[in-house]
Amino acid sequence: MRCEECAGKLDRFVDRELTNTEALEVQLHLEGCPECMEHYEFQEHLKLVVKNSCDCDTAPKAFREKLRQILR
Amino acid sequence: MAEPAAKTAFAEEALTHLDTLYRGALRLTRDPDQAQDLVQEAYLRALRYQHSYQPGTNMKAWLFAIMRNLFWDRFKGSHKEDVSLDDVGDFVLFEKLRDEGAKPEADVLDKIAATEVVAAVDKLPPLHREVVLLVDVEGFSYKDAAETLGVPIGTVMSRLHRARQQLQKSLYDYAVESGIVHSGGMEQVPQP
Ligand SMILES: [Zn+2]
Ligand SMILES: [Zn+2]
Repeated sequence: MRCEECAGKLDRFVDRELTNTEALEVQLHLEGCPECMEHYEFQEHLKLVVKNSCDCDTAPKAFREKLRQILR
Repeated sequence: MAEPAAKTAFAEEALTHLDTLYRGALRLTRDPDQAQDLVQEAYLRALRYQHSYQPGTNMKAWLFAIMRNLFWDRFKGSHKEDVSLDDVGDFVLFEKLRDEGAKPEADVLDKIAATEVVAAVDKLPPLHREVVLLVDVEGFSYKDAAETLGVPIGTVMSRLHRARQQLQKSLYDYAVESGIVHSGGMEQVPQP
C-alpha cells in the first residue's frame, strides 16, 4: 500500500469502518511507515479529544425527572 | 393506543438515551434552555409516534432523527440552505504543528481545554456539526449516521472529513492565540 492510499483510508480506519482485510492492510502499512503512523495517531487522538470534550455534557437531573413525569 | 404499561416501558427505554439526545440538542442549539425544549418536544413526538418505531432496531438513532428533524424545522425553516464549509484546503493542524516543530504533535491536543474543543465544534456549520456529534461523540457507524440524517454514506464521509479539517484549523488558531504553539515555530535554523 502506498502512503496516498493509506491517507485516503485513514478516516475509515479511525472510525472502524474498513473491512477486516482493508484494516489489516492499513495496519501493516502503518507499522512500516512512521510518517503515516504519526498521522494516524494524531487523527485517533483528535477523535478521542472531541468525544471526551463533548461527553462532559449530560442532561441535568431535574430535567430528567421532569421528562419522566411528563412521559408517564 | 398503547397500553399504559407498554407506554411506560417505551418511555423508560427512550429515556436511557436522554444524555445522547441532550448533548446533541445542546450542540445543535448551543443553548441549554433551547436544548431542553427541543428534547422535550422530541420525546413527546416519539411517544406519539411510538407505533412507527420498529422494536429491535436502533432506538437511539430513531430518537436522534426525531430531535434533529425538529431542530431543522424549528430553528432553520424547512429548507436547509447549505451553510457549507469553506474549503480549508489541506490545512491540517498536524501538518502545521509539524512544520513548527511541536513534538509530538498529539500532545498539543492535550493542552487545549475541553471548553475550547467544544467551542471549535460549535463553530462548525450545523450540517457538519451533527455528523461529528453522531460519529465522533456518540460512536454511530457511518450507516447509522446516514440513516439518521437521511443522506447517503458518501455524504456522511465527506462532511465528516471536511468537519475534521475545519476543527483542526480552529484548534490551531486557538493554540496560536493562547500561546500553546508559537506561530513561526521554533527558532529559525539557518539553512546551510
Ligand atoms: Zn505511509
Ligand atoms: Zn491525550
